[in-house]
Amino acid sequence: MKNKRGFEFSFGWIFAIIVGAVILFLGIYAAMNLVKQARSTGDTFAGKELGIILTPIETSAEDFNKPTPISFPVETRVYNTCDSLGNFGSQKISVATKSSLGKTWEKPGVASTFYNKYIFSASTIEGKSATVFAKPFNFPYKVADLIFMWSNNDSYCFVNAPDEMKEELLFGNVRGVNFTSSPTECKKGSKKVCFSGLTGAGCNVEVNLASQSVKKDKQTVYYYSDKGNALLYGAIFADSGIYECQVKRLMKRTASLALIYISKSESLAPRGCSSNLEGDLSAFVNQTLSFNSTIELRSLELSVENIGRTNDALSCKLF
Amino acid sequence: MRCHVNYFKNQKGQMKIQEMAFVLVAILIFFGIIAIFFLRIGISGLQGSVENQRAEEANEIVRKLAATPEFSFTSKDCDNCIDLDKVMALKDRKAYAGFWGLDYLQIKILYPEKTGECTKGSYPDCQTITLIKNKNETGIAKSAFVALCRQEFKQGGYVKCELGRISASGKGLDSLGGTK
Repeated sequence: MKNKRGFEFSFGWIFAIIVGAVILFLGIYAAMNLVKQARSTGDTFAGKELGIILTPIETSAEDFNKPTPISFPVETRVYNTCDSLGNFGSQKISVATKSSLGKTWEKPGVASTFYNKYIFSASTIEGKSATVFAKPFNFPYKVADLIFMWSNNDSYCFVNAPDEMKEELLFGNVRGVNFTSSPTECKKGSKKVCFSGLTGAGCNVEVNLASQSVKKDKQTVYYYSDKGNALLYGAIFADSGIYECQVKRLMKRTASLALIYISKSESLAPRGCSSNLEGDLSAFVNQTLSFNSTIELRSLELSVENIGRTNDALSCKLF
Repeated sequence: MRCHVNYFKNQKGQMKIQEMAFVLVAILIFFGIIAIFFLRIGISGLQGSVENQRAEEANEIVRKLAATPEFSFTSKDCDNCIDLDKVMALKDRKAYAGFWGLDYLQIKILYPEKTGECTKGSYPDCQTITLIKNKNETGIAKSAFVALCRQEFKQGGYVKCELGRISASGKGLDSLGGTK
C-alpha cells in the first residue's frame, strides 16, 4: 500500500522554520548594514586624513614644493567638491574605497570640509596613488597655497610648454608629465596640454599664453599670470567648474587679507609709517568681493599691479 | 473520553509552541544586548579616533600657521616669523572664527616677559593675543615656538622680533554637535 499522506509538518516545525528564517534574515541584514557602516566610517576617516596630510605639502617660503606621491591602501576614489558660498567658501573632500564585500564602489563617506584649502583637480580622482604638489598664489600679496592633484592612472603630455614651466616640473621630477614638441609624440592615452599656437590636433587642453586663457572640455577659463603661474597650473589640472569655484574662493580670501592689511596700515600710520594704500585696498576689496567669473581677472590685473608697485616703493612694507 | 484526550494533547502542543516562542524572544533579546554592547564599544572607539584626528589636525595647523598669509611676516629676512601687527588686525575679524577649524588659538610672548591680554591700547606691551576661544571645553592644545616680529620706528626703523609660542586645539566633539 502506498502512503498518500506524504511528509507531515507539525505546526511547531512550521513556526520554528518561519521564525528561524526571520531571525536569519535580520541577522544577515544587520551584518550587511554593519559592513556598509564600517566602510562608510573608514571612508569618512580617510577623507579627513587626506585633508590633514595635505597641510604639510603646502608651501612656506619655497615657490614650488616638490611633488609628493600619496599612496592609498586600496583602489580609492577621491571626490573634490568646491563650494563658493560663505565668507571663504569651502573645500570638501570625500573618499570611497573599492571593496570585494558588497558593491564594488559604495557612496563616498561623509565629506570633510576645509575652509583654508584649495585643491585643483578633477572632480573625481581614481587610483591607488596620486601625485600632489603645491604653489603659492600671489595677488599681489600671498593669498594661499594652491594644491594640484591628479591620479597616477592619468598622465599629461605638455606640448610646446614654456621653458620656465618645463624646468620647474623637470626639476621637481613630477611623475606623469611628459614634454614634447608635437601632439603626435605624446604617449597614447595621455592628456595632451597644448600651448600657444596649437589648437585642435587632438589637444585635450589648449593654453593661450597671450590671452591668458585655458580651453578645456569646450569651456574657456582665464588665469592671472603671477610670478609662479599658480593659476595656470590650476586651470590645467582642475575641471573647469572646480577651477572657477576655487578662484572665486581665492578672491574672497584676497578681500579678507586686504581688510587685514588696511587695519595694519591704519595701526602703523600713527607710529610713523603711512602707506597711503588704504584707499586702493578698499577699492580692491569691493572688486574682489563682487568677483563672479575668471574673465574678471583681467580687470583686476591693473589694481593688483598698482598695489604691488606702491607697496614695493614703501620704506616699511605692508606685505 | 476521546474529546478529553484531544484537549490535553492540544494543551501540551500549545505549551510547546509558547516555550519555543519564549526561547526565540530570549535569543533575540540576547543578541540585541550583545549588539548594543559592541555598538557602545565601537562608538567610544570612534569618538576617541575623531578626537585624535582633530588633535593631529591641530598639530599640523600649528606647524604651518606661521607660514599662512594671515600670520606671516613678509620681510625677506624672516620667512617663518609671525607678523604681530597682522595678528592684532586679525583679532577683530570675526569671519576667521571657523576658518582653521580650531576651538582655541592663542599667541603668547614668552620673552621679554610681559603680562595681560593685548588690546589696541596695550599693544605691544602685552603678553597674549587670543584669536579663538570656544566657550565650551577645548581639547589639549598643541604648541610651537615662533618668532613674533613687528615694525619698530624708533632709531630710524627696524624689525623687532621676540620669542613666542603659538597654541591651538582642534574642534572637540562638543562643538561639533556630538556627545562625550
